[in-house]
Amino acid sequence: EFLIISSAIPILAFIIFEVLASIRNGSEKLSSYELSIEPMSGACLQFRISYYMFALVFVVFDVETVFLYPWAMSFNVLGVPIFIKAFIFVSILIVGSVYAWKKRGLEWS
Amino acid sequence: MILSVLSSPALVSGLMVARAKNPVHSVLFPILVFRDTSGLLLLLGLDFSAMIFPVVHIGAIAVSFLFVVMMFHIQIAEIHEEVLRYLPVSGIIGLIFWWEMFFILDNETIPLLPTQRNTTSLRYTVYAVKVRSWTNLETLGNLLYTYYSVWFLVPSLILLVAMIGAIVLTMHRTTHGAVKRQDVFQRNAISFRRTIMRRPTDPIMR
Repeated sequence: EFLIISSAIPILAFIIFEVLASIRNGSEKLSSYELSIEPMSGACLQFRISYYMFALVFVVFDVETVFLYPWAMSFNVLGVPIFIKAFIFVSILIVGSVYAWKKRGLEWS
Repeated sequence: MILSVLSSPALVSGLMVARAKNPVHSVLFPILVFRDTSGLLLLLGLDFSAMIFPVVHIGAIAVSFLFVVMMFHIQIAEIHEEVLRYLPVSGIIGLIFWWEMFFILDNETIPLLPTQRNTTSLRYTVYAVKVRSWTNLETLGNLLYTYYSVWFLVPSLILLVAMIGAIVLTMHRTTHGAVKRQDVFQRNAISFRRTIMRRPTDPIMR
């Protein structure tokens, strides 16, 4: 029974996709949209590295937050030594963020 | 039944990551995989991990993958002509993973294949849990910071290294001198009559 349902569902997904959203490509449809005039240049701008730096810093601090969630739940029963350890944890990551700040990695140039 | 509804799109999306023609689709299919694995973790009773999966994996990791795909303008690759070239080595690695999975799946508490034993193992209820039990989050907090506190502090160092490494690599040449930045408004406000002059060897000048 498991095998029947688990094989039917992806097949169903693909069938629904083909029925509902069949795309027919034409040469005019494939060119980029530029307000009814002929497209003037390629659509790619230069990638700014600040986009990636923000995503990276977000990943790091998100994982830090995930580590802090269980600590916040059992904070009262764990006592002072655990508080100091969590403080060390956060301070190591603050060192990283201060480094990023000083090296002007997070500027939106 | 919910297990099958969740697990099969995970496997299919995993396959589609390698097979999708558009590289952006290759990043969007792991989002489906993460969603399905989050549901599977919910079925296993790990509520904290199931809630963390969308936050960390989809929100941070898949977004980073998306940035990488966008950064390098990965063209629509013609991979289908060359698939057979990779088949021997990739087939062997795939078979090794498959074999390892069957090692793990020998466990009776994960009812994946319908056999006579597995259909009865789901009915057993533990009544002690229903009185007042520790949530996943509380047990994690109790263990992670006391017995395994070294394991808690080491990831902070790993994250620190990751951040500093990425910043060193990208800001390498431009930080010791001036970072070459420009102020757009100042650039627009410069009047060209005072800053640009014609050279005497200019062919237009007489």
